Amino acid sequence: MEMTKDYILKTENISKIYHSGGVDFKALDDVSINVEAGEFIMITGRNGSGKSTLLHQLALLDSPNNGEIVVEGQKTSHLHEKVKMDLRLSQLGYIFQEYALIAELTALENVMLPAMMLTSSKLAKKKAIELLTKIGLESKYKRLPSELSGGEQQKVAIARALINDPTIIFADEPTANLDTIASKDVLEIFKLLNEKEGITIVMITHEPEELVYASRIIQLSDGKLI
Amino acid sequence: MMRQLKLPFYLAFQYIRRGRKWTLLLTIFLMTVAFINLVFIPSLFNGIIDGANKQIINTMTGDIYITPPDGVDYIKPRDQVLQRVKNIDGVEAVSSKTLVPARLKQGNISGSWQTLAINPNNEKNVSNISQKIISGSYLNAQDTDQIIIGRQIAGGSDVEENALSFKGAKVGEKVNLVFDGMTKEFTIKGIFNTNFVESDKRAFITEKALNKIVPSTSNRTNTINIKISQNANEDKVIESIKQSGIIGNVYPWQESTGLMKSVSNSFASINVLLSFTSVMIAAVTILIIIYVTIINKRKEIGILRAIGIKPYIIISSYVILSAVYALAGIVIGTAVFVFVLIPYFQIHPFVLPICNAILVLDWQNFALRAQTILIVSIAAGFIPAVIVTRAKMLSAILGR
Repeated sequence: MEMTKDYILKTENISKIYHSGGVDFKALDDVSINVEAGEFIMITGRNGSGKSTLLHQLALLDSPNNGEIVVEGQKTSHLHEKVKMDLRLSQLGYIFQEYALIAELTALENVMLPAMMLTSSKLAKKKAIELLTKIGLESKYKRLPSELSGGEQQKVAIARALINDPTIIFADEPTANLDTIASKDVLEIFKLLNEKEGITIVMITHEPEELVYASRIIQLSDGKLI
Repeated sequence: MMRQLKLPFYLAFQYIRRGRKWTLLLTIFLMTVAFINLVFIPSLFNGIIDGANKQIINTMTGDIYITPPDGVDYIKPRDQVLQRVKNIDGVEAVSSKTLVPARLKQGNISGSWQTLAINPNNEKNVSNISQKIISGSYLNAQDTDQIIIGRQIAGGSDVEENALSFKGAKVGEKVNLVFDGMTKEFTIKGIFNTNFVESDKRAFITEKALNKIVPSTSNRTNTINIKISQNANEDKVIESIKQSGIIGNVYPWQESTGLMKSVSNSFASINVLLSFTSVMIAAVTILIIIYVTIINKRKEIGILRAIGIKPYIIISSYVILSAVYALAGIVIGTAVFVFVLIPYFQIHPFVLPICNAILVLDWQNFALRAQTILIVSIAAGFIPAVIVTRAKMLSAILGR
């Protein structure tokens, strides 16, 4: 395994091309970024600029056509999907724009689920309750996603992303579907996680007022870094 | 690893517990219907074959029958042979039937129906003709001028072979037995209906009546019918009869099935074909039900993969879910079959010219069909789950 020092996350000239209707569309064009541990990075840009595509590559949910992504010194381009899955499980947390909770599981069970892959259900439950308490959902952990507000569902998604103590959290427009108060709540949680627990956060946003939370801003346009 | 193995059960349990109740009920209902469909036709065919076989045993041959040795017309001395057979271990009752060499005639209508001379008391213990009297009464051993005739001989507008019958003969009416150069008048004492056309084309008089007309038949018979005890082994009883020194040919009832043998064989062949079709229909139904269920969970499966849940856990959870659907369908289907359908058809059997058919469950076959449903369901859960977990994760999550 080739090691790359200093950066918790690094991309080297990654490109992503989509083929649709016989036409190639370059969603990412030769993007290279370095992320240091403890950074709070916000990715911004217009619709179709490649923000979500970049985040999907960084979180190993998709693979670039060219280039390399290095996670904690580990090159990932040739890794088997099983290994990438292990990385997603134990080192990377991902928060979707639309919460992406399992409808049949309660808030507690949704949070516990990734931990049950690595530890006993008893320990997973204990930790999930701690996390839900920390983000202010201690009274609602037995509720199903359909019984929670959008802000509460997003908090559950955050707790789920945190359950296995990841080093990096990726968030794809986590406040897009939330009102102002709920958005602020979510951003404050990210801030706390970043400042107090040193978790690296890479987040996409459309909202200029949210950029104040970032330690660094990455701007994309037509798949290229500006 | 062990804790990971619990996860599929955990997920499947939560899907069932918290999933849409109507979807769950509809899925289990369809599974139940698919299972009942799979077992109904074979059970009906089993019922027809079993019913026809019982008709042969109960109205014609008994469990075992003895005929005279080849080239000989009669078994004799009848009473001693009957006694000797009766003493054999496993034999419950014996009866003799002697063919009356005469034609039956009423007015201008005559026919070559089989008329047999019996000892009514012995016959009562071997066949169920005495219980099938629909008009009048059964013979008495002392009757010399009375005859009982089958429904197909008596005839009537609702009788299958009315055109070849007496077209509505009634109890109390006279019929003649026309022997070679001699006629003997009998009064119809009873009409019986076994619901087995072949059996209902026969008439019975007493041995005493026959001996009076044809004295040479005294203490002779053409056939001895034997009923064996419930727990007796047919082959062993046959062997004992053969070894007892009785001169005659000993056959199990199956040797006298005649036309019914080919009917049974045809039903067995149709059964195989229909079973294959039923299995295919059940398989496709189950595949569609579970495929639709899993395709609807495509996004959820994508999310599970995204948060690091291994594909084998996801696939296993859907296989377990499918197996639970199938088991529920099998259990409910079995309950409906055993507690509703079987009792219903016992009260309202299918009335066929060969028997009143009820549903007869062959448990071995039943278990095989339950296994088939289970295996098909597991495959129906496995295949789409594998397809979905192999699809692009983002496409599944984003619904592309």
